[in-house]
This record gives sequence, structure tokens and C-alpha cells, in this order.
Amino acid sequence: MTEVEQLLINTIVLSAPLVLAALGGLISERSGVINIALEGVMLTAACITAIVGVATGSAVIGLAAGIGAGIVISLLHALFTQAFSIDHIVSGMAINALAIGGTNFMTKALSEHSQERVPVYPNWAYYTLALAATFWIGFYLKHTRGGLHLLAVGNDPDKSRQMGLDPIKVRYLALVGSGVLAGLAGVLIVSNAQSFSDQMTAGRGFIALAALILGGWRPWPALGACLLFGLFSALQLQMQGTRIMGADIPYDAWKALPYLVTIIALAGFLGRNRAPAGLGKP
Amino acid sequence: MNSLGWKQIVLALVAFGCIALALVGIGVMPFDALSELIRGSLGTKNNWNETLKHTTPLLITGLAVFIALRAGLFNIGAEGQLLVGALVATAVALKMPGLVGAVLSVMAGTIAGGLWALPAGLIKAYRNGHEVITTIMLNNIAAALAIGLVAGPLRGGTGLSTSTDVISESSWLPNVYQDLPFRLSLALPIAILLVWVIAVWIKKTVAGFELCATGANPKAAETAGVEIKRVTVRAMTISGALAGLAGAIQVLAYEHNFYAGFSSGFGFDALGVALLAGASAWGVLPAAFAFGALAKGTTSLQALGVPKGLSGLLLGTIIIVFAAYRYRKVKSHD
Amino acid sequence: MTPAVRMTGITHRFGALAALEDVDFEVAVGSVHALVGENGAGKTTLMRVLYGALQPTEGALFVDEIERRWRNSADAISHHIGMVSQHYSIIHELTCLQNLVLGAEGSFLLPADEMKKRADHLAAKMGFEFDWDAEASGLSPSAAQKLEIVKLLWRDSRIMILDEPTAMLSPVDSDALYISLKQLASEGATVIVVTHRIPEVVQHCERVTILRGGKKVADLRVSETSAELLAELIVGHAVTRPAPTAPNPGAAVIEAQDLVVRGARKDHALKGATFTIHSGEVVGLAGVDGNGQRELFHALIGTLPIESGRLVFAGDEITTTRACTRLMEGMRLIPEDRHEEGVIQDWSLVDNATLGLQRIPPLTNGPWSDLVARRSLAQRVADRFKTKHSGLYKSMRSLSGGNQQRFVAARALELDPKLILAFQPTRGLDVDGTAQVYAEIRNACRNGAAALVASFDLDELLENCDRTLVINNGRVFEPLTGQERDRQAIGQLMVGAK
Repeated sequence: MTEVEQLLINTIVLSAPLVLAALGGLISERSGVINIALEGVMLTAACITAIVGVATGSAVIGLAAGIGAGIVISLLHALFTQAFSIDHIVSGMAINALAIGGTNFMTKALSEHSQERVPVYPNWAYYTLALAATFWIGFYLKHTRGGLHLLAVGNDPDKSRQMGLDPIKVRYLALVGSGVLAGLAGVLIVSNAQSFSDQMTAGRGFIALAALILGGWRPWPALGACLLFGLFSALQLQMQGTRIMGADIPYDAWKALPYLVTIIALAGFLGRNRAPAGLGKP
Repeated sequence: MNSLGWKQIVLALVAFGCIALALVGIGVMPFDALSELIRGSLGTKNNWNETLKHTTPLLITGLAVFIALRAGLFNIGAEGQLLVGALVATAVALKMPGLVGAVLSVMAGTIAGGLWALPAGLIKAYRNGHEVITTIMLNNIAAALAIGLVAGPLRGGTGLSTSTDVISESSWLPNVYQDLPFRLSLALPIAILLVWVIAVWIKKTVAGFELCATGANPKAAETAGVEIKRVTVRAMTISGALAGLAGAIQVLAYEHNFYAGFSSGFGFDALGVALLAGASAWGVLPAAFAFGALAKGTTSLQALGVPKGLSGLLLGTIIIVFAAYRYRKVKSHD
Repeated sequence: MTPAVRMTGITHRFGALAALEDVDFEVAVGSVHALVGENGAGKTTLMRVLYGALQPTEGALFVDEIERRWRNSADAISHHIGMVSQHYSIIHELTCLQNLVLGAEGSFLLPADEMKKRADHLAAKMGFEFDWDAEASGLSPSAAQKLEIVKLLWRDSRIMILDEPTAMLSPVDSDALYISLKQLASEGATVIVVTHRIPEVVQHCERVTILRGGKKVADLRVSETSAELLAELIVGHAVTRPAPTAPNPGAAVIEAQDLVVRGARKDHALKGATFTIHSGEVVGLAGVDGNGQRELFHALIGTLPIESGRLVFAGDEITTTRACTRLMEGMRLIPEDRHEEGVIQDWSLVDNATLGLQRIPPLTNGPWSDLVARRSLAQRVADRFKTKHSGLYKSMRSLSGGNQQRFVAARALELDPKLILAFQPTRGLDVDGTAQVYAEIRNACRNGAAALVASFDLDELLENCDRTLVINNGRVFEPLTGQERDRQAIGQLMVGAK
């Protein structure tokens, strides 16, 4: 395999979970709920998939459990932000802390299974799903009643209420959808590694969020941004140990590359994009 | 709705009930865990020592996050700013031992922390890029950079591969009280002094007033002649500088060198401290102490076979319960 | 004729406060019926009951003589009742078509072409035209009002409630609106117009119901009444119109020359504004909403940059000066949006009194803020218009809207103002409150200040200002000599007819 081929394959492998997570974030934020909790949703889904998958030996039950966990955590975020009016970022950070602590707690408590491989579906299934989801969400937002309600509530919850919509209901539903997609992202991550390890999502929920922002909260541009981040992560994998202009750049410094790209991108492009007007509003 | 908020009480009961159930699930009685938590943090002189040692960086980083929060900014980047501050402070102290070196080291760490937060402030103010994303990215870069540097240029001559040399004892921050094994480092009084300075600055200066106005309602602040972009950048930089200072003090007072895994997530706990602190800087004091005791206590709990993830569960639960109580709806007329 | 709507004995209480007390209200099918009263008289509350947005504490509601109880607005909508609120319910970020169908889409999939066909048909019936794919943020206030009417038709509304429909319209657009409403009524719709503008009622409506303090005081045929009688019924006592004080202008306080300013959408919201205001003058700024008032005020106070032109304040050029400096030099602002720009709801009255004045000497000593001076300032601010409050350290949120407005208006008159920029300074105030605010602005101007007052209500400006400027499409016009108080002439300037 040539280096370029390897790079392309790595790009797809690394960006697929980002795409699923970013789409999850998109549904949530389009309904007006800032979703820093993506990371926690992914991590919990990955952990539950590993535990249930190993315990039952069934890929389909593991997958279902992972998605279910994603929905539950996502609904927690909806509950905290909508029913308890907690600031969306505070709720998201708390959920991330709960997810990191909770998954560590569960894996340590159930340590007997930890060495076994998690039964999984092949990755191409997820790649197809990610593509199909991007297409479907693009269509859904533009051409369906549900999509229109999502956009309306995300932009102006008060006026939506005047028009007979129920913004709270729309947001709960949006977070169920968000939980499914971010859950899938977590399942894919654990499928790649074939076992769960502490904090294995490694901040990819936040990168997905950055991609979502760079994509202007639109599905196809967000997919593009995810591919870009995937490419830089793939580059990082391949550049480790290479010498640039005679300097020996340590392995760990390359790890900073995708993050650096995110910051530069945010500094450069963001001003032009518009966030949903009702983001974070009660 | 009554003022106590039954909904919030139910939430608290359910949340802590879940944690208790989880403990029972691994064969630990919740009451035993609680008493071990208290004993482990406040039971002996040595435990007090460790708790206060843990409280100090939480106080300063908590203050850092607090001041950003007052300006309406979520500085999730205190972790990275602390690392950069500690790294730079170590480098300076290694080059220049002695009192002058120590002072320069603290200054350098503070400035480094401020500079590390600056891009997040600028991007927020002038590009409308959310500071949560940028500070998390800056955290990751700081972590990679720190590991890269201690594995490379700053790697110590002795022992561990991922650690710098120990700084000269002449630049250590002294203890103000000693009753072995209990030591009270000068770091804690310095941290408390900082709380006082920030509390007064916020309450009694025009700059503090304008910072809080920006956080409470940026549009109203702008109409009132506050330059909210400048205030945003300033608040983020001050916040980063404080976190950098926390890193520098951590090096000079307790750690004496920099190594991979230097921070045990002080920057993240700091967010909890700042949220718990409420509207006044003085609130940072009890909040930091509570989190310090919690961190020390959960370490002791690991001896009982309780996974360390318990601290994350407790942190998240406390933040949620507290936030739910604070933001409960109060009836308004309008 | 059978009534389309009959409400009997409607009472609604918010806590201990009764917003409506035993109100009977009846509207005939096919009529244009006016509901008038002061702010706080209960007009909007009564209509929200009819629309299902509020559930009355007591009373019964009959639609087409069948008793109904709405659980929410969706119930009322499904029984063909529609309401257009004063600030419209159009979501700017959606397209016109999306706004039109929102909440009444019919099917899961949205067939754009079919929907456009029906939309065009409904619009054509009223003589309107829309670019359905355009974003609604680009609609002018009168176009937005038209879209709201088509929205009612889309939902097959037969009972239409319009809350202050002409608040943001020019006189010409207002007349056009009433022609549309009469056409709808002639086709069998029942139209209820909530308004406080008496001339409209006299000119266009058939019947009028008057509310005062939550009670019905009269229900009359318009042909049997007069503007004077209506005014008296609304206020409860005879209205005397104060003669405007003869202007005796002093030196120029603010001189604007060809100001060009970009608005939120980066277009030229202000295309060259030139005017001068002198010490002692109260100058009105009339205009239809969205013609550059907002940007002019922001440019004057210094929160929007001036692209070209010149601004001179008390003899000094301040074109590029920062807002805080202008405030310290004596500019004061009563902002348009009290909630968003005027106050901080979670802050105490003391802190809110300081907002905008925080850098001015009696309140500061170098970098330090004087907490004692701040408290006594807050006391003065609260006392000036008798703001009702339960303590100066209580949060702003604990005040009613009208009291917050009093507080904000009083704050702008503090610490020796030189130029008072007031954007709808009496929004949400009753007749007495309005009179007090204008009297105090007048008072400050007697002491050497100048004032620029923007309002969408031309009558209010004509009544209270020495002269009136007109803003239209980003340009400021001055009425010709001899027409300074000519309602007709100014109205035509407002729509650019001259």
C-alpha cells in the first residue's frame, strides 16, 4: 500500500466517528441546545457497548445497548437544560464528568470481562451509515415538517410557541436523535479498538463540535470539516518520527496538529458563519 | 412553585441515591464510604496536609475560572494554562536558582498562562468563536507540548524519562508553619490573599463593575459604554494568568519539578469550584476546600476497592444539583 | 346579527392582581371591531383568553354561540381563531414560505411547489405579492404585517385578532391595512383590532369596546361617538392637551453632517444624516420602524462606528470617540429595548442605576467606585418617577415593565445630562407616566440640555416636541417651514412620498 493510500484510508477511519458525532451535535444545536455533552454521550455508549457486547457475545445487542445509552445520556442533558434550566455548558461539562467517572466505575467494577474482544459489525457499515445520515439530515431539515419545526424552535423558541409548536417537546425529540448519532459514534470508536479503555473518546466529541461550527451548522459542510480533521489526524499518525528541515520533532508534538488546525480554523473562518439564533435560550 | 423547589430536591435525592446504589453494587456500604471519605481527607495530620496541599491549586485555578465566569466566559482551559505556567516556571527556576529566580519564575509562569489564554479571548471577542472549544483545543496542545518538552529538550539528567530535573532548594516556597507531618506552605496564604484582592477588585472598582456587566448582559454593557471586546480579552487573559500562577506556585511550593501527568485535572475541578462559589469571590474558599477534601478522600477510598471514577461521579452530581438549585425559576412580574 | 364571539363575565387574575374583572365582550360576524384602552387596561389579556394563550379564572366563551374552553392556542387555532401579536411571530431566519406554513404544514413532507401555489393564490386575493424563498429578515414592517394576514388565511382563520397592527406602520400603510381588513370582513371574516390610536378607530371601525383598569366601560357604535368622547372614556377624565413650549434654542449641542453607518447586515442603514439640535430643544424623530433610527442612535452614542461624515458634540468633534467618553461628556441614552439594552435583570436597582454612569466622577474616585454615592444615586433615580420597588438592593426583575421603564428614563436624566437620546421613552407607560417623563425631559432641556426623541407614534411626538425630524430610508428630513406641525406633510415624508 502506498503512503497516499494509507493516508486516505486513515482519513476515513478517523473522520467517520467525527461525522456521526457532528451530526448528533447538529440536530441538538439546531434545536437550540448547545451540546458540549457529546463527548460524554460517546464515551458512555462506547463503554456500554463493550460491556453488554462482551457479556452477551452479540454484536446487535451491544449496538442496541450503546445506542440506548447514548439516548439516555442525551436525554439527561435535555432534562437538565430544559426542565431544570441549567446552563447548557454547565450541564454538558457535568455530564462529561459523570461519563468519565461512571465509565471508569463500571469497567473497574466489572473487570472480569475486560480482556475479551467486543463483538462488532464491520466498519464499512458505519461509514455507509454516516454518509446516509448526512444525506437524510440535509433532506429532513429542508423538506419535512419535523425539520421545519427544528429550525423554528432553534431560531426562536418564543415565536414558535406562538405558532402552536411545543419547543420543549421538539428539543427532547432532537436530543433523542442526537443521542442515537453520538451513540453510534461511540460504538464505532469501540468497534475500532475492540475493547474499552478509560477516556477512549479522547476529546473527539469536542473536535466534532468544532467541525460542526466550522461547517456553519449545515450537514454537508460539517462532513467536509470532519474529513479535514480526519486528514490532519491521519497526517499526524504518518508524520510521527519524520524529520522536517532537519529537526527531530517528538512524537507527542505531532499530536497537537489537529488541535492547532481547529484553533486556526476558528480564528480564520468563523466570523462568516451564523449560529442558530436561539442557541442556549430557554 | 415553592421557594425550596421540590423538583430540585427530588433531583438531588435521585442523583446521590444512584451513587449510593453504585457503591452498594460493588460491595461498599455508602455510610462506610462516607466515613472513609471524611477520615481520608480530614482524619489525621497527614490527611489534612494532603487536603490543604490539594486545596491550594484549586483555590487559585478556581479563582481563575471564577473571574472568567463573571465576565460570561467558560474558561475550560485552566488546565492547559496551569500546565504551561508550571512548565515555564520550572524552566526559569532551573536556569536561575535563588530568590530572584523564584520571583522571575512566578512572573514568567503567570505571563505564560495569560498568553496561553489570549488566543481564546481574541477569538471569542473578534471572531465570535466559542471559548469552550478553543480552550479545550489549547488544553490538548498544552498537554502534547508539555509531554513533548519533558521527553525532549527539558528532559532531566536523572531518573524518569518524562520528568525535568528538580529545581534548586533555594527557590522553593517556604513553609510558614510546621508540625510534622503537617506542613503549611506559604502558598496557601498567598492564595487566600489573591481571593481577597479579586473580591475587592470586583466589588469596588469600575473595571470590576464593567467586567460583571459584560458577563451579565453584554448588550446592556455595551450600551452603557463598556468596551465588551476589550473586557472579554482582558478577563480571559487575567483568568489564564491566574491559572499560570497556580502552576508556577505548584512547582515552587510542592512539586519542585515538572513531569508528565503534572496536573491531576485541577483545571477541570476548578470549573466545579467556580460554579459552586456563586456570585462572590469569597465563595471560592469553601468550594476549593470541599473539592480538595473530596479529591484526597476519594484517593483513600481506592484502598476500599472503590474505583477512582467515583470522584468524577461526585463532581458531576454536585455541579448539577447545585446548578439546578441556583437556576431554579423565581417568579417574576414581567 | 349573530355574534361570532361572545365572552361573558371574564375575570383573570395574576396572583392577587386582577387583570380582567367581569368583562363582557361581543363581536358581530363580518365586522371590524376595535378594542381600545390604555396600556394595562387588559386589552391584550382579553384577547389572549380568546386565543387560548391564557385560561380565564372565571367566565365563559362562546364562538358561533357554542361554548368553548381552550386548553391552549392550538385549540383556538383549530377552531379558526387567529391572532397577530404586536411584534409579529415571524421568525427572521426562516424563509417567507416556511413562516407561512409553520405549525400548519398539513403533511410530513413539505411539497414546496404546491405550497407556493396555494400561498400565491391567497396572497393574490388580497393583492399582495411575496418572494416565498427569501429570508423573512428582509421584510419591511408593512410586508411582515401582510405576511401575517396571509398566515391567518392559510390557517382558514375566520376570527382574526390583530394586536396594535399599525404600531410600526406609516400612515399610508396603515390605511392600506384597514382596506385589506375591510375586504376580509366583507367576505365573512370577523376582525378584532386592539389599538390605542383613536383616529384609526373613528375612521375605519364599526364598533368599539373600551376597557379601563380591567373593566369594560363602554361598547359603542363608532358612528355614535367622537374622538373626544373616546379619549375621555379611555382615560377616565377629560384630556387636556398641553401647548408645546415655545422653543428658545441656544447653542448647538450636536451637529451631524452626512453620517453614513452600516447596520447589522452590513448594508448602509444610515445613508447621510445631517441635522443640528440646540440646547433647550426637544426634537422628535418620526419614522417607520427600520428606517435607520436604531443605527442613528447607536452611532450617536458610539456603539456603531461612523463610516463617513462628521459628528460634533458641544463644539468638539467626536466622530471616532468611544462610547464611554461620550457618556462622560454628558450624553445619555434611553435605549430602545429595555430588556436587552437598558437593564441587567439579575442586578440590584443600585447597580442598575450606575449602569452607563459608572465612570462619571461623583460615582468614581480614580479606578475606585464609590458605593455610597451609587446608593444615593439609585434613591434619586427611583424617586424621580416614583418607581414602585421593594428595596434598592432587590433585583431589577422584581419590578414590573412600566416601573423598569420609569427607572431607565430617570437614570438618563441624572448627573447633568447635555444630550438626552430617548428611543420610545414612554414605551409601556400610561398617560400620566408619559406626561411625567416628557415634563422631566423638558425640564432638563430648560437647564441647558438638548433631547432627541424617537418614536413610531407621530401623534405623541407632535404633542410633546418643539419640532420633528423625519427619518426615511436612512436619510433625515426636516419638514418645510410652515409644515413643522402638519401631520399630513410629515406623514408623507415618513414614507418618502415627497
